[in-house]
Amino acid sequence: MNLLSGNGLQQTTNYRVVFCLFIFMLLLHFFLGSLLLLIHSDIYDIKTHYFHPYTLTIVHTMALGWATMIIFGASHQLLPVLIEGKLDSNLLAYLTFGFTSIGIPFIAYAFYNWQVGFPMKIGAVLINLGVICYLVNIISSIYYSTKKRCTHVVYFCGIYLAFFQQRFFGLLLVFNFSYPLLPDNSLDYLTLHSHLGIIGWFLLLVIGVGSRLIPMFLISKYTNVKQLWIIFTLVNISLLSFIVLRILQFESVYYFISIFLSLLAIVFFVQYCLRAYKVRIRKSVDEQMKISLLSVLLMLAPLLVLLIVLLMIPVDKNYNMATLYGFCIFFGWLTAIILGMTFKTLPFIVWNKVYRRISHAGKTPVPKDLFKESIFNWMAITYIFGFIIFVLGLVFSISIILKIGAFSLFASSILYILNVIIILTHQSKVS
Amino acid sequence: MNEITNDNIKCNIALTALYDVIDPEIGLNVVDLGLIYEINFDETAQRIKTDMTLTTQFCPMGDSIVGNVTQSLQDAFPAWEIVVNLTFDPPWNYSRISPDGQEFLGR
Repeated sequence: MNLLSGNGLQQTTNYRVVFCLFIFMLLLHFFLGSLLLLIHSDIYDIKTHYFHPYTLTIVHTMALGWATMIIFGASHQLLPVLIEGKLDSNLLAYLTFGFTSIGIPFIAYAFYNWQVGFPMKIGAVLINLGVICYLVNIISSIYYSTKKRCTHVVYFCGIYLAFFQQRFFGLLLVFNFSYPLLPDNSLDYLTLHSHLGIIGWFLLLVIGVGSRLIPMFLISKYTNVKQLWIIFTLVNISLLSFIVLRILQFESVYYFISIFLSLLAIVFFVQYCLRAYKVRIRKSVDEQMKISLLSVLLMLAPLLVLLIVLLMIPVDKNYNMATLYGFCIFFGWLTAIILGMTFKTLPFIVWNKVYRRISHAGKTPVPKDLFKESIFNWMAITYIFGFIIFVLGLVFSISIILKIGAFSLFASSILYILNVIIILTHQSKVS
Repeated sequence: MNEITNDNIKCNIALTALYDVIDPEIGLNVVDLGLIYEINFDETAQRIKTDMTLTTQFCPMGDSIVGNVTQSLQDAFPAWEIVVNLTFDPPWNYSRISPDGQEFLGR
């Protein structure tokens, strides 16, 4: 007879909730890779303005379909670990998936064909409904968690509220095309909308999650709550200062204040990760962690591009540099950390589903055995090669270089999908 | 079959069984990882009570690790009742990893 007593285990999130978000995300990534390869790379060899339907389609597919959906999927699984509580509602998680999975294709279609009417509006409304469900679920989970005041919980509350603001502002911009809700046209608010997402959502989220997961996976004793608070404050002041400067239409020189604050926050975060790396107990670092650590360094790239744009390139000639800035964010640090963390977290989720109840029956594979390491390595090589080549293509506006870079990134996305399918279709192997 | 004559021998048998229970992420066994706090043998009730912890209360692998600990002890002591008491007081920390465990991770 076996008994389990004591504090007991807390339930982790239902795997089905996470599965549907992951699967949807990888299908869109496939879509994105094809789109980038076949159509969009050509438009950048003629220095196209970033307010171009194809660019907007890529940006929204990457930001919403790729980065946000995988963040939704992973955060539903990881939130219980981060807040030391359980996910409040699986129903709200399904609704988040339902609303966003329908809304994102509408938005992508609307941008691609530049239809600012019904498709864009319905897409924006659905995405906002999904975000509201997500926000309510996360905040109620945090409310019932055991660590209401811990640093990471405050971090996440701030991030989710910023994300809601960003999505709500996106909704306003969509309706502003048809009804004069805002004093200026939507193009004038584009930088504001994008930076609410880039800084308030992605940057804070990557720092929040990374500061917890990177030391955890490295088995590092390092922690520095004070430094995390400094980073959190710097990023928020940077974002607020940018919003104020943008709304009051200050000259571009004043934007250095915001850039400097964000740069300082990222440098502190890089330092945090470096210290965690130095005092790690587990000396051998796996490939998934290496690419995740690379993404931390890649966080500096967009700001360096921004400094080059502001200091060296006239406003009327910086279209490709603005695209490069966005490329470094979405295909640089965001994609790198997703590629790494997918293969740290998804095998766990599947392993738990397949082996949780039978792992004592014999020798079972470990989570890292659930994907092919050789495919992962080739994915990493083609990704890094494609990223560097595409950056060179953007800098020098050379079509063939852009094509090679896009093709390599596309190959990387195929290898990524292949490995994810291998994980998702894993069958029980007990010897 | 050898007769188990005292707690030390039984404890060694239990620990030997638990050396086979591996944390799937870290790749280290639960004994060297410092997850096992105490093993008590109640001869009268024929009951083995094990106090153990996890690296975090919300460890995604928690179910599996606890199940494996229970099953390994049950396999080693088929006639005994196995009680696994999961506790987070005191919480696990890195200093609980044994020198052998640290050597394994330091490779």
